[in-house]
Amino acid sequence: MEQIVVNGLYLGAQYALIALGLTLIFALMNVLNFAHGQMYVLGGYMTYLVYGKLGMPFALGLAVSALTLLAVGAVVEKFLFRPVLRKSARDESSMLLAAGLAFFFDSIILLLFGQKQHGVPKIIEGVQNWGDFTVVIPNDKIVVGVCTVLMIAAFIIFMQYTKPGRAMRALAQDRTAAQLMGVSADRYGMLGFALGAMLAGLAGGLLVATTGVSSGIGGSISIKAFLMVMIGGAGVVPGAIAGGFILGMMESFGLSYLRAYGDITYLVIFASLMVFLSIRPHGLMGKPWG
Amino acid sequence: MSELLSIKNVSLFYDHIHALRDVSLHLDKGETIALIGANGAGKSSILRAITGLQEIRAGTIYYNGERLDGRQPDAIVRAGISMAPEGRHVFPYMSVKDNLLMGAFTRKDKTEIAEDMHKVLEKFPRLRERFHQSASTLSGGEQQMMVIGRALMSRPKVLLLDEPSLGIAPKLVQSIARSIVAINRDDHVSVILVEQNSRMAMRISHRTYALITGEIVISGNSAELQNDDRIRKLYLGGDTA
Ligand SMILES: Nc1ncnc2c1ncn2[C@@H]1O[C@H](COP(=O)(O)OP(=O)(O)OP(=O)(O)O)[C@@H](O)[C@H]1O
Ligand SMILES: [Mg+2]
Repeated sequence: MEQIVVNGLYLGAQYALIALGLTLIFALMNVLNFAHGQMYVLGGYMTYLVYGKLGMPFALGLAVSALTLLAVGAVVEKFLFRPVLRKSARDESSMLLAAGLAFFFDSIILLLFGQKQHGVPKIIEGVQNWGDFTVVIPNDKIVVGVCTVLMIAAFIIFMQYTKPGRAMRALAQDRTAAQLMGVSADRYGMLGFALGAMLAGLAGGLLVATTGVSSGIGGSISIKAFLMVMIGGAGVVPGAIAGGFILGMMESFGLSYLRAYGDITYLVIFASLMVFLSIRPHGLMGKPWG
Repeated sequence: MSELLSIKNVSLFYDHIHALRDVSLHLDKGETIALIGANGAGKSSILRAITGLQEIRAGTIYYNGERLDGRQPDAIVRAGISMAPEGRHVFPYMSVKDNLLMGAFTRKDKTEIAEDMHKVLEKFPRLRERFHQSASTLSGGEQQMMVIGRALMSRPKVLLLDEPSLGIAPKLVQSIARSIVAINRDDHVSVILVEQNSRMAMRISHRTYALITGEIVISGNSAELQNDDRIRKLYLGGDTA
């Protein structure tokens, strides 16, 4: 039982990091970034290249993942989403663009890295155990978990207490008013998109350390990310975090208790989410950026 | 007096809706001008054109001798033009304090920002009582005061006010009108006041422009126009205040 909770928390932290990026992009641009999972996978491969293949420090791998996705996010916003959003008032246009982007990234990833699962050497050996092996956590998962929580905290502090953070919150709450305060919608929209992509990339980089990375998982990560954001309420920071941990827990419990009945964990999760959303269509905290 | 802002032959479209037709007007330094007209006449569109929120199709906008049209809204704020938009665009999940500080987003001078904050709270004491409350919990009138105060936090040379009296009790309208006069006279801010409450707008402005379906049809000295037959018939008929 304790072990399941710990696994859930570990998973939840990673999911929360992914969901935060997605919700940031949604809050700022009103764009559903279907390519979020692919950005996550791309981040995973960057860390794999730097740390696994070139043998450089893991931290450098994470930094490369972050910077690469920061750049990818910025470019994608400036040259793809911005012109589309400017020319078309319909939500479908940006959704189609995002879906196209997801397929594009999937193909690129497959082309560059193939279908094989890529693992890396452990970042740190050993395990910790508590209560006479009721709870066992490998050291590398502890490191990754702590890194994840620190990144979430850093992001929240950035959004809450810095000038760009204020600008982005203002844009999310009232775009017109923010522009009238002198907030450049172009500049901070691009920054927000880049940061959102960066969070996905960092989560992907962290993933490599414990589970390795393979090319096909982008789509399912995107879907999980949307699940979390919808559980919590789209565009809300605490919602994304709550959604991440809730999904992490559901998955952890499901995988332990439902395994006996076959591979039905996600079936159950999806079914309960549908019921939940029909009761609370705006999620747990359905209000814009707070 | 010298011309601070001038709009020449401006046309503005929303898709195929022709919202402004060949509009020309000017604002002198130290002046308050009123734009009056019925719903949909194009008053807000003029302000949206000035602030860069809406692109114009034809014409020019000059401010301090520099071309303004074609610039992004944030550049126009930096140039010294600030707007309190229609419909109280507050940041609902920020406190009154943070809303006001957002108004100073383009500035770096911390001590002077604090001074200006103090001045705004002096002008609108109600905001002091609500200082740490989130903006979504304010009453309509309080939100209106906050939006005007927030627009002042950028230290504008030109203040654009879009229907500050909308949906506000008559007593509070008087108090807001007094604040506008004080902002113009004491703080030396030039003001463009858009109003449906024509009587109030003409009383506190120097000059008035009247719009009908996207065109300026009457303009002149506010005191004189108050007695103009056409204006009385068009705008002052049922008005009270
Ligand atoms: N975003 C928009 N899209 C399409 N048409 C618009 C838009 N905004 C305004 N219009 C149209 O442009 C015309 C002028 O609108 P505008 O908002 O400038 O009027 P107004 O004088 O401010 O009216 P009100 O007193 O009701 O605020 C109207 O016919 C309106 O329907
Ligand atoms: Mg209007």
